[in-house]
Amino acid sequence: MSSLLTWARIAFRQQRWELILVSVGVTGVAAGMLWFASTLDAFRAVSPECLAGAGIGSGFAFPDDTGPPVECQSLLEDFYSTQSMATNLMSMAWAAPFGLGVILGAPIVAREIDGGTAQLAWSLSRSRVSWLLRRIAFVALFALALLAVVAVASELLAAAIQQRDLDEDFAFFGQRGLPVVARGAGAMMIGTLVGAFVGRVLPAILASVLVIGLVFVGLSLAHDRWNESEARMQRFWDEAGNPVPFDMGALDVDYGLQTPDGEFLSYGEAYERGLLTETFQDDQGRVYASAADLQAGKVFGHDVRVSIPGERYPELLIRDSAVAVLVGGAALGGTAAVVRRRRPR
Amino acid sequence: MSDDPVLTTRALAKRYGRRTWALTGIDLDIPQGGITALVGPNAAGKSTLIKTWVGFERPTRGGVTVAGIDPWRDRAGALGHLGYVPQSPALYDGLSVADHLDLARQLRPSFDREYARARLAQLDIPADRGARSLSGGQQAQVALAMALGTRAPILLLDEPLASLDPLARREFLHVLTDAVRGDGATALLSSHIVTDVEQACDRLIVLGVGRVLLHETVASALGAHSISTTEHPDAVASFGAPDGSRIYLVRGTADRPASLDEVVLGYLASGRSAVAAA
Repeated sequence: MSSLLTWARIAFRQQRWELILVSVGVTGVAAGMLWFASTLDAFRAVSPECLAGAGIGSGFAFPDDTGPPVECQSLLEDFYSTQSMATNLMSMAWAAPFGLGVILGAPIVAREIDGGTAQLAWSLSRSRVSWLLRRIAFVALFALALLAVVAVASELLAAAIQQRDLDEDFAFFGQRGLPVVARGAGAMMIGTLVGAFVGRVLPAILASVLVIGLVFVGLSLAHDRWNESEARMQRFWDEAGNPVPFDMGALDVDYGLQTPDGEFLSYGEAYERGLLTETFQDDQGRVYASAADLQAGKVFGHDVRVSIPGERYPELLIRDSAVAVLVGGAALGGTAAVVRRRRPR
Repeated sequence: MSDDPVLTTRALAKRYGRRTWALTGIDLDIPQGGITALVGPNAAGKSTLIKTWVGFERPTRGGVTVAGIDPWRDRAGALGHLGYVPQSPALYDGLSVADHLDLARQLRPSFDREYARARLAQLDIPADRGARSLSGGQQAQVALAMALGTRAPILLLDEPLASLDPLARREFLHVLTDAVRGDGATALLSSHIVTDVEQACDRLIVLGVGRVLLHETVASALGAHSISTTEHPDAVASFGAPDGSRIYLVRGTADRPASLDEVVLGYLASGRSAVAAA
């Protein structure tokens, strides 16, 4: 126990200013999220009817489409204004893992090499890999604990913004819960790898911004492709003309037309290929290529969304997080390889 | 006590980049015990040589051993025999002296923290002082205490005196000689200031232009060389005296005994002449 405390004390002191900086920043963001979450929830306590009537949480607007009653207008204006600010704050939950990766990850090894302390540490430790793991562990645990706070706060805020349970819901996917922590782990290990490779603190920080950005943009594009391959078409009305229950928690991948032969065609593609020059739509989601077709009942296609159902949210959450952690693991392995062979300055 | 050398190099060459050779084929055997001075001008390859033993540099050609172990093949094994003091005592700014000793203990479980702490206490260096607030001499003493605390049988000290004032240099050498003689360890101390190491060292290696120019005990180096003020057939080399005259280092007997400084200068001059001739 005493040895663990000594390890934690030394590790903290080796990087205290970055740790204090991110602690203050992350605590501030998390506190802001919790404050906004409680403020948004308070609106519902004032008048649940007004929020429900405006479709907040349920997705269905006032039925007569005449807008909210006068007594709800002020409350709803305040709600939307607060909701807008809270939504902006959610982007901090998206950025926090990458910020921590840069601020905490990049300097870990870079400063040791830059400041010459690597010579001291690497001559004392018989294994540079065990030194690296020991050196990283405290900072990583500290960062992940901070990100866990953000993950929980963002989960509560997202639910308050949407005013519904988000257990099986893709709303704010990647900006709340487990992916915040997993991406933090990945970003931090990439930052550490860049720092070990570059060996100077400031260039390492700048380079890690670039590398972390590129890696996660690449991962995001890969996820998009993956999601596209798994998404399925869903009509808004069935063949009998009855509305299909709308899955509010689904992850929308595309929107367009289902042709009579069952193929998906986006509107853009239909126009580009000259299949459509204008569209006519009835009130049951059937799309026609001309007024004459509408009159004749010659359907060009059905309006569809291409989405992944909300029930698959937990599965994709794990998948997204696992990929980020695997990338982090690979980066850690790369860092170990660099540190083993690197010449200290 | 084994007669096997504890530090060796065989045809050791080290090149940086494509053209810059720091070491050009060095053969060295450093026996167990005592302090060996590794002297030479800047860029002579002293740091490169030491870092090769520590496993920080990989030889371009040839090889090195530490207690019979190749540090590039078995870094852990070699480091287990080594205590190292880097060129500039780079300590962690945010850590106190005591933290450094705790860190050393964590990195090397056999580290003798109490021994290191006692050495620092003798020098009135408070354990709770931040490393940043220590003087250069005190920082060097902390780095030395960390190396001594490893209780390693071999100590490699890479120009630890370079940035110290004369008093701090003397104090550092006093601690070093005391510890090495007390523990029966072997130390290799690199420096470009010959007068500092003269009193402390038993052996002398003169390194110049990437090769070994002289390697023998201090006593035999002093006994075997003398100075001639006129040209001499057995002169190793000639160089300028402080008064502007030309003097000749002779391996043998001449006008007067040579000082260690003159021996070193003579061999460095001979190294330069050889390079110029080549």
